[in-house]
Amino acid sequence: MPMPLNPRSVRLVWALTFFGTLVWLGAVGLAPWLAARGSSGAARFIYAAFAPLCHQVPGRCFAISGHPLAVCGRCLGIYAGFAAGLILYPFIRGFSQAALPRARLFLLLTLPMALDGLAGLLGVWRSPIGVRFAIGFVWGTILPFYFVTGAVDLLRARRERAAARALEKTIATQ
Amino acid sequence: MEPQRPDYFRPALIAGAVAGLLSGLPFIGAGNCVCCLWIVGGAAIAAKLLAAKTSGVLRSSDGAVVGALTGIVAAVVDAVVSIPLKSFNMDLARRILDRASEIGGEMPAGLDEILGGSAGAVSPGWFLLGLFVSAGLFAFVGALGGVIGVSLFGKKALPPVSAPPAPSAPPAGPGPADAA
Repeated sequence: MPMPLNPRSVRLVWALTFFGTLVWLGAVGLAPWLAARGSSGAARFIYAAFAPLCHQVPGRCFAISGHPLAVCGRCLGIYAGFAAGLILYPFIRGFSQAALPRARLFLLLTLPMALDGLAGLLGVWRSPIGVRFAIGFVWGTILPFYFVTGAVDLLRARRERAAARALEKTIATQ
Repeated sequence: MEPQRPDYFRPALIAGAVAGLLSGLPFIGAGNCVCCLWIVGGAAIAAKLLAAKTSGVLRSSDGAVVGALTGIVAAVVDAVVSIPLKSFNMDLARRILDRASEIGGEMPAGLDEILGGSAGAVSPGWFLLGLFVSAGLFAFVGALGGVIGVSLFGKKALPPVSAPPAPSAPPAGPGPADAA
């Protein structure tokens, strides 16, 4: 069920998330760019920072100037899909309410990636990098609807607790 | 009165320990290559455990908090599990990359030195820096997984109760609002 919200809070969370996503995507592309320019130390740091999230197998990554991006095609698809979902967010949800997507929709968008990932791990088939990107992109588009809702609710919960504490203080002093 | 917070720590500890263990094990840890499966899944399970323990309806912020804590616990467990398995994991990574370069892929710049130089002991400083970075990333991904978990496993809020009729109003039959 949608919860009514202060549009300013939603706008702020949305804008910060969008900025963070651009920085994140920029860092993914920065690693090979730095490597191509000979700054191997900085490039290595960025590759290492993304390592906990991605296998970074070069054959499964897009490349810039012969150097692979900091994440694989699927992960890049997820991040690009996240950015696309954020762009769509104001048109679908607006800034005056927030609601989690339906579970069915999430499962539907997860299914292609689950099947592709499972088949890849079991060695049944190896999908081309473009397909991996597309599958990740589709899944990524739904994620901002969870992220923004969660972050906005976190802000609201903090404000509610602060207001409750202030009220308790006022009652105690009277 | 200040609203009572659910007990986040216990579900986060249980789910984070399992997610971290799975992430740290060779082969099985590769599950994280599919959209951080173990971390997102662990955080969603933590939200499910929290929902089972909480009598009220979980908010998405509860999912975000328990998910973020799960991610941090998972990062710590993953780091601890990875210490004894480090040389094995490095050997495995080297074989995978050798295979990839045979197929025609290109190694990232400096990866040879990273793999070659990491076979020995890691300094405590680098270990803590790595732990800090992965804890931050896993907390972020875990928060997302926790919110997804609330949407999948959280109890649904009841529809809003309609306001009682004003005392002066005469008793009315089913109107358009009731029919809706």
